Amino acid sequence: MSKNKHQYAFFLGCIAPNRYPGIEAAAIRTSKNVGIDLLPLKGASCCPAPGAFGSIDLNVWYAMAARNVVLAEQMGMDIALVCNGCYKSIWEVNHKLKHNDELRDGVNEVLKEIDMEFKGSVDVWHLAELYYDPEIVGVKKIADSIKRPLTGARIAVHYGCHLMKPGKERHFGDTENPMWIEELVAALGAEPVQYRNKMQCCGAGGGVRGYDLAHALDITNEKMINMRDVGVDAVTEVCPFCQLQFDRGQIEIKEKFGAEYGIPVLHYNELLGLAQGMSPDELALDLHAIDVEPFLKKIL
Amino acid sequence: MAVKKDYKDQKLAEKLRDRKYYIPDSNPEFIKDVEKIGQTAAHMCYQCGTCTGSCPSAPRSSYRIRLFMRKAVLGLEEEILTDPDLWLCTTCYSCTDRCPRNLAPTDAIMAMRNLAFKRDIIPRNFLQTVQLIYKSGHGVPNNDANRAARKKLGLEEEPETTLKYPEYLPGIRKILDHYRLKENADRILAEGE
Repeated sequence: MSKNKHQYAFFLGCIAPNRYPGIEAAAIRTSKNVGIDLLPLKGASCCPAPGAFGSIDLNVWYAMAARNVVLAEQMGMDIALVCNGCYKSIWEVNHKLKHNDELRDGVNEVLKEIDMEFKGSVDVWHLAELYYDPEIVGVKKIADSIKRPLTGARIAVHYGCHLMKPGKERHFGDTENPMWIEELVAALGAEPVQYRNKMQCCGAGGGVRGYDLAHALDITNEKMINMRDVGVDAVTEVCPFCQLQFDRGQIEIKEKFGAEYGIPVLHYNELLGLAQGMSPDELALDLHAIDVEPFLKKIL
Repeated sequence: MAVKKDYKDQKLAEKLRDRKYYIPDSNPEFIKDVEKIGQTAAHMCYQCGTCTGSCPSAPRSSYRIRLFMRKAVLGLEEEILTDPDLWLCTTCYSCTDRCPRNLAPTDAIMAMRNLAFKRDIIPRNFLQTVQLIYKSGHGVPNNDANRAARKKLGLEEEPETTLKYPEYLPGIRKILDHYRLKENADRILAEGE
């Protein structure tokens, strides 16, 4: 682990910087407000996408993810990131290479070709877990950073899959009905709402969104029904790929199945940004496929 | 055995039929390959079905993770690797989370997909991601509308990745070339056109 637990190399991934740049802008500013500096991880690539690359050849996935970790090792800094898919690639490969000599040697043989070596000297964190960790930030400090409480907003939490699962190999505790992100949402003054089958996948992962869109959307649709049934003003998540699946997915669901939900989809960092006083323009909320306006009217 | 299902990709479907993949022979080495690549003791599966019961893809398709686990143990390599359902796992890891044998069915599926790719059996979208990453370092690259939005946010038009520092691309390409991934992706995609 790096010496300074308030400075991290910010691993961007693909969808946050290239589809929802408001997440990137919000992550940097909101983290700063709670004492975390996110520094550029120059030359990082796609994590690479665990579903796509892992399905083709796990060895390539290990080597490509390791290259991103080595960039942070060269900075002498732990990695922080905002996406569950990136977390699976970067955290899990870092973890595997640290504990499996055979795997590490294989990867280092390939990295040698580009004058790199995986040393296993840094750790990888999701920003959400840093926010929740009382030794780093903690729920109280998040609550103290709020200038505009999201009072009255009913918010469903979608945890996604690759942050906490498989639970046996992670460190998040219960994966059947976790409540820690709800605590982070409540800290913003909003009301986290429970709904049926909360831990179900968004449907996009494993390459399924690209392979069989209707199948992926059918899974998404089930989640939308379950959220609508309890009445929510928005859904929040900590994964830009889930965000894309829920946000653009609702448009695609309307086209394919005729069902319409109009539930705004906001990454936790976007929510935190709003609660800390950032304007919708500063979060590029106009890039969202589902109009965020009804939610903004409720909280602004 | 009778072929009941088909890939929507007609070229791939024809290729599989032509090669007579559907033979009844069993390959006892197959489960060993799955276990080595997936790093899970798949043969320990006692077929309780917790995996299929936890699977978001099962209620809306004929994909059955328990069936894949059993077929792998039986060495039914041909059936597994040619089944279009192999690609319906969203890798949500619910089955892995709940498996009472502490197995990782999800990783067994990933291993089977790896083995399918070795025979050029793979849906096109996976290979297109390889091409995108080879080109820009990103599976989801930047575009003009996004560059304009980034500028408005006070961010640089290109993020601090390979997009802003293309000098890092040759290293990425070297890794992909080491495994001949781009070459194989190009070839398989061209064959399917």
